[in-house]
Amino acid sequence: MSAATTHDPAHDHAHDHSHHEQAWIWKYVFSTDHKTIGIQYAITGLLFLLFGFFLMLLMRWSIAYPGVAVPGVEVIRSIPGVGFIFQEMFGRWLNADGSLNGELYNMLGAMHGTIMVFFGIVPLGFAGFVNFVMPLQIGTIDMAFPKLNMLSYWFFFISCVMMVVSFFIGTGPVQTGWTMYSPLASTTSIGVTNVWNHGHTWWLLAMVFNISASLLGSVNVVTTVINLRARGMSWMRMPFFCWAMFIVGFLLLLAFPPLEVAALLQLSDRVFGSSFFLPTGLMEGGRHLDISGGGSPLLYQHLFWFLAHPEVYVLILPAFAILSDVIPNNARRPLWGYKMMVYALLTLAFLSFLVWAHHMYLTGMGTMMSTYFQITTVLISVPSVILLTCLMISLWGGSIRFNTQMLFGSAFLPMFGIGGLTGLPLAFSFIDLALHDTYYVIGHFHYVVAPGTIFALFAGVYHWFPKATGRFMNDKLGKLHFWPSLIGMNLIFAPMFIQGMAGFHRRWYDGGKYFEQTAGFQNWSTTLTHKIGAFFGLNIPDNMLSLNIVMTFGAIVLALGQVPFIYNFWVSIKCGEKVKSDNPWDATTLEWATPTPPPHGNFVFDVNAHRGPYEYSAPSHPTDFFPQWETEHGKPKPDGSDASAKTGHAHAAHH
Amino acid sequence: MDIPYTVHARPDTGLYNAKVGIWLFLASEVMLFGGLFSSYIFLRVGADYPWPVHELNVTLGCINTVVLIASSVSVVWAWAALKMRQFGLYKGLMLFTVLCAVTFMVNKTFEYKAKFEHYAVKLTDGTILTGHLPHGYQIKFGEVNQLAMSIPLKTAAVGADPINYVLNHLDAGATPRFKTEDGKEITLDAATFAELKSAAIEKAKVAKQNTAGLKLTAVSPLSFTVGESDVFAYDASTMTFRDGTVAYGKLADDKMTIEVDGVDTRGVAVKEKSLAFDHRYLGEAWQKAFVANRDHLTVEFDKNYPTRDKTKSATFQKEAYFLHLESTTPPAAEGHGNGHGAEAHAPAAHGDGHGGHHPTVVLEKKDITFFSNFTPKLNTYYAIYFTLTGLHGLHVVAGALVLAYFLFFNGKMMREDPEHLANRVEVGGLFWHFVDLVWIFLFPLLYLL
Amino acid sequence: MSDHVDPAELQKHVKKYIFIGLLLIFFTAVTVALSYVELPTHSLNIIVGMIVATFKAALVALIFMHLNHERPLIYKVLAFTAVFCFVLFVLFVMANSDPLVDHGFEKPLQSIEQATP
Repeated sequence: MSAATTHDPAHDHAHDHSHHEQAWIWKYVFSTDHKTIGIQYAITGLLFLLFGFFLMLLMRWSIAYPGVAVPGVEVIRSIPGVGFIFQEMFGRWLNADGSLNGELYNMLGAMHGTIMVFFGIVPLGFAGFVNFVMPLQIGTIDMAFPKLNMLSYWFFFISCVMMVVSFFIGTGPVQTGWTMYSPLASTTSIGVTNVWNHGHTWWLLAMVFNISASLLGSVNVVTTVINLRARGMSWMRMPFFCWAMFIVGFLLLLAFPPLEVAALLQLSDRVFGSSFFLPTGLMEGGRHLDISGGGSPLLYQHLFWFLAHPEVYVLILPAFAILSDVIPNNARRPLWGYKMMVYALLTLAFLSFLVWAHHMYLTGMGTMMSTYFQITTVLISVPSVILLTCLMISLWGGSIRFNTQMLFGSAFLPMFGIGGLTGLPLAFSFIDLALHDTYYVIGHFHYVVAPGTIFALFAGVYHWFPKATGRFMNDKLGKLHFWPSLIGMNLIFAPMFIQGMAGFHRRWYDGGKYFEQTAGFQNWSTTLTHKIGAFFGLNIPDNMLSLNIVMTFGAIVLALGQVPFIYNFWVSIKCGEKVKSDNPWDATTLEWATPTPPPHGNFVFDVNAHRGPYEYSAPSHPTDFFPQWETEHGKPKPDGSDASAKTGHAHAAHH
Repeated sequence: MDIPYTVHARPDTGLYNAKVGIWLFLASEVMLFGGLFSSYIFLRVGADYPWPVHELNVTLGCINTVVLIASSVSVVWAWAALKMRQFGLYKGLMLFTVLCAVTFMVNKTFEYKAKFEHYAVKLTDGTILTGHLPHGYQIKFGEVNQLAMSIPLKTAAVGADPINYVLNHLDAGATPRFKTEDGKEITLDAATFAELKSAAIEKAKVAKQNTAGLKLTAVSPLSFTVGESDVFAYDASTMTFRDGTVAYGKLADDKMTIEVDGVDTRGVAVKEKSLAFDHRYLGEAWQKAFVANRDHLTVEFDKNYPTRDKTKSATFQKEAYFLHLESTTPPAAEGHGNGHGAEAHAPAAHGDGHGGHHPTVVLEKKDITFFSNFTPKLNTYYAIYFTLTGLHGLHVVAGALVLAYFLFFNGKMMREDPEHLANRVEVGGLFWHFVDLVWIFLFPLLYLL
Repeated sequence: MSDHVDPAELQKHVKKYIFIGLLLIFFTAVTVALSYVELPTHSLNIIVGMIVATFKAALVALIFMHLNHERPLIYKVLAFTAVFCFVLFVLFVMANSDPLVDHGFEKPLQSIEQATP
């Protein structure tokens, strides 16, 4: 490992002593170190992903087997402690026979969406990775505002606690879907005089904290990228990872406030009885509500989707960010079209603010505005395609190492492709009118975020795990994680397109059992399912409902597939194979120049960026990678006089 | 090992960290208030009632504007003083700024308080009466001899909870003595209710019912006085509380007593036939005063603006059809002046204890469609008013806290590293100017236009 | 602002700040006075009021917040914010009108019926 800055124990030792010993609680809990905060975010995010996935399993059971008791409920109930928690969270809402009802299904649906988006993917994909990796990649010692960074995590933590607490509230968590559409979400249930004893109020408060955390975090990220780049790290030498995270920071910064407005106004509707989102003459349960009216539910949708469309890119851009490191590193090829990707990214971010109303075609928007939003929506697919294509072309001619992160990375490409392409028809209002709120839409966005983003996040976890812990995650277990995940994801989401086009509505808790016209519908996929089932001796009906069973089977496969990952993740921290160098993947970006794991302050030499971030397989270079921090082969240059820096940014970011 | 560029600017960007940070934060704040102002436009354009103009206390608003402008000047001056190392001046100016913030919030409190004490009642024909409720609005329900409750076996949003929803409305002095279905005599409290509840649930389980019923007969008739929002529904002989408990008895009184200080007839088709001038309420004398005022203003409007359409003048509509009552009996029929001076000051400026200045009217429930004090519930204007000014007030408090922190806790930094403190004050000042900037738009939009 | 500023220069700035403060108070009075003038339509009152308010806001932003001589980066950030804010304002309202059917907020249903033959 000639090229890597190998770990110098003596130096490291001296470095450690320059700091006084910190108490455990300040070092690992209330830490201001960006790496610790990143890991805190990432682990919280992973736990919430698991929790959200568990909610989805319950839902899928109800869809496939409506009215049938959830298996294992009695077992869970009988475990002391766990049983109590389960009973208070879900059990009390179950039917007497242990099956799900619509009420619980709605709660699960709303919380699944909320948790996956705001508490799973964004904390892991954005906050986790950006905090851990970005300051290392731009060669600085920490984020610009370390204390705010800590505050951001703890705001987020408060919002997590509140969101979980909302399960235990008297009336249960929200039931209105993750979008919280008014007027349904603005009116309180008739019997609830105490609005604070209502899960919805807690949801809104939790979101106010979550949004505040996001704002603090994104101010920090953007400032750090702007002002703390190392010497020589000009904008166009910055890894695409940092570019993407920089842009995500902007999206969060500018798109979240309107959601905060929506949450505050809805809170006012619920707590103070105002009518922001309630039209005149609204009735509930046969009687006029005691409200003034005069508001508009459409206002809520505008405010909500003004956030929620950029939010889609907040979910997907971290995936591109991670893969822009994982793919070139494992294909041993430079990222193809780096500059084009950066410009596509900027275009994408800009356009993402101009497309939100394509979620609202069904609200009877004017034809002119509808046309406008159709045009921008089609336009925004162009930069998305550029990003995906560049990643694909980066594979061309590479000698690919199929380790676990690369498997996830390469699976991302077709999966995101399916998700993206199935979105195109939805851009047109005349198709959207038919497909709106069907499983087709569910399939579309889940292909984008589940086998899309989440696969990329897994790739990121496997990729940076050695840097964070000094140990590898097990590759065999990783592959055992990958294949069931890939199969499970596709078994769940592919049938959704078929069901969606047959008109299956997304909010049927019984999976359409009582909708005769859908239950009787057959096609090749149902027949295939029926025949495969018959082969194994199962009696699966030959109609659309059979696909529900396929999806539930897929969900179970996916669930089992996560077991190796969870085991691998926790066990590898202590018992994984140790890394032999600070740069185990032979990578080129600056985070691999630090000791492993990076100490407080990160770099042990004055770091400099001497070249672009993707110098793989450069001709005439002895190894197939040429790190950014080396002046010539195998030599980091600590004195820092860098004649090759074209830009005027020659000022140390490191003291 | 310090973070670089906390004090001095990075040469290529020309900015120190905190300045980049605050501008990004302000950009996000722009979007926050942008969303709120956008909601304001959306609500105003879509409003189905005349949007209030000059209805708030303009004088207080003006004072607050001046206070904020003065504090904006002082904070930027404080920064300059610190740059010139005039520490005494700096401290004085910062103190002035913080005091300005306190003044602003005190004014705001007076403004809010006046609103909370003032009520508006919408009648069935669209008339809106404004005024004070000397006793609040409560429904009296007497001769209650029976309570019926239903307890769902499954956890549900609504279940009988008489301890929290019924007994606290019982008239003072009465003891809730009841006979159960088995003839046992009990005093209803948390313990006895829990006992009854579990017994009823057991019974329902045996009978395989989904809900358990519970009937209690009062030993002696009880009476309740309940705020309107705590009642789910009622008629002449039953009253349903918000927990679903039904009381059987007799409706004693559901009339509303209001000291009227304004009659807004803009929502009525034939203004002078408004229900407010019914003989049971304000009566003919006030109707005459209303007509006189309207005719007087009509003549004046035609004289001043002969070419304009009265129906399109919001000001005319407001002055002619929104009668302000400033005495217990109508003024002499000359009809000068009602619409003039009354606009500028807040209706509630009269305060609470001046019942003698306004006619008192007892409204029948059947004539009332909606009532509220001047809170977000009243209409979308007050909803957005309270949200915008409330959020702005929160920003004022936050900004003042930050500036006070620099003033009182950064003395050491002032002496040792004034450049760093100047950066802090500049950043805090930028936030403070932004708060001022928002108010510059808020003031005309909510108070004036 | 750059790191080092000449004290004499700053003294001049302070005079400017006080002058701008007085100007802002003057324009506040103008706004209040104008709001009581009955212009042909109330919309005109709103437009005039908003023009004065925008002018005041510009003074605060340019002088007090030093936006008259700031670094390009901050202008870039604010330019994007301004665009998105504009979108937030205009499109919300426009999304509810339909020039093809030519109806505004008031009577959407009737005018659709009239427009459809």
